Amino acid sequence: MVKQTARPLIEAGQALPVLIKQVTQEKINRYAVSSGDGNPLHTDSEFAASTRFGGTIAHGMLILAYVSELLTAAFGERWLSSGRLKARFRGPARPGDTVIVSGRVIALDGARVQCEVEARNQAGEVLVSADAETTV
Amino acid sequence: MPSTLASFEKEHRFEPARFELSRDWVRGYVVAVEDQAIASLGHVAPPMSLAGLSIRALLDRAALPPGSIHVAQELSFQRSVTIGETLTAKARIASRGERQGWVLMGVAMTVEDSDERPVMEGRATITFPLGPEGGLADG
Repeated sequence: MVKQTARPLIEAGQALPVLIKQVTQEKINRYAVSSGDGNPLHTDSEFAASTRFGGTIAHGMLILAYVSELLTAAFGERWLSSGRLKARFRGPARPGDTVIVSGRVIALDGARVQCEVEARNQAGEVLVSADAETTV
Repeated sequence: MPSTLASFEKEHRFEPARFELSRDWVRGYVVAVEDQAIASLGHVAPPMSLAGLSIRALLDRAALPPGSIHVAQELSFQRSVTIGETLTAKARIASRGERQGWVLMGVAMTVEDSDERPVMEGRATITFPLGPEGGLADG
């Protein structure tokens, strides 16, 4: 049985709850095991140092999971059953980074709500920008 | 060792992968992504875990070429999925282009339930360096 715990957000401009996560190499390694994505760019510091990133970076899907957590917190089961997300990975999240995920409602169209969401690091650099949509 | 994505052309369809969304795997995923919001919804899986599983199924069939970068991701969820469900992940190369020594590839992914109804659809856009023989880069 799925519980309905969402709080409908019905006003354009309304901010979504902010989510803050710390990225560590241990967390990146854990996600690599869970996801099966063993790209050495994420887990092999020697390899990653030879790339244009200069070191390991987090999986984009890990940061996207943070975005999804924010949307789950905001919209509950509706996000799981009717959500749509269009995301672009704009910059790398590195071990030691603080990731701040925030968003706001930008439009309402009948029962659909559209939001813009982004994840930034502690320097304010955009890591992920996304358009999200779900029913309310 | 599977081939890398670099060796596949547009419209290639990968062999579907069937899997059970086990409690242990979901628990491991939730711990890995530190999802504190999903627990309040009961025995459902985080929606992004479906995307993660479909990507994992794809990577079991074709490894990422060295130097691959995930550029963009589109996802839509048709219904919530309960822990313990059996799902099937399908993937195909939806687009492939080459520019200035890099390949830009779109991979369309669908996850279906046991009644063959989609529970998640998505598209991953990745880019990787084009190797000297049109495939693997040196890394």
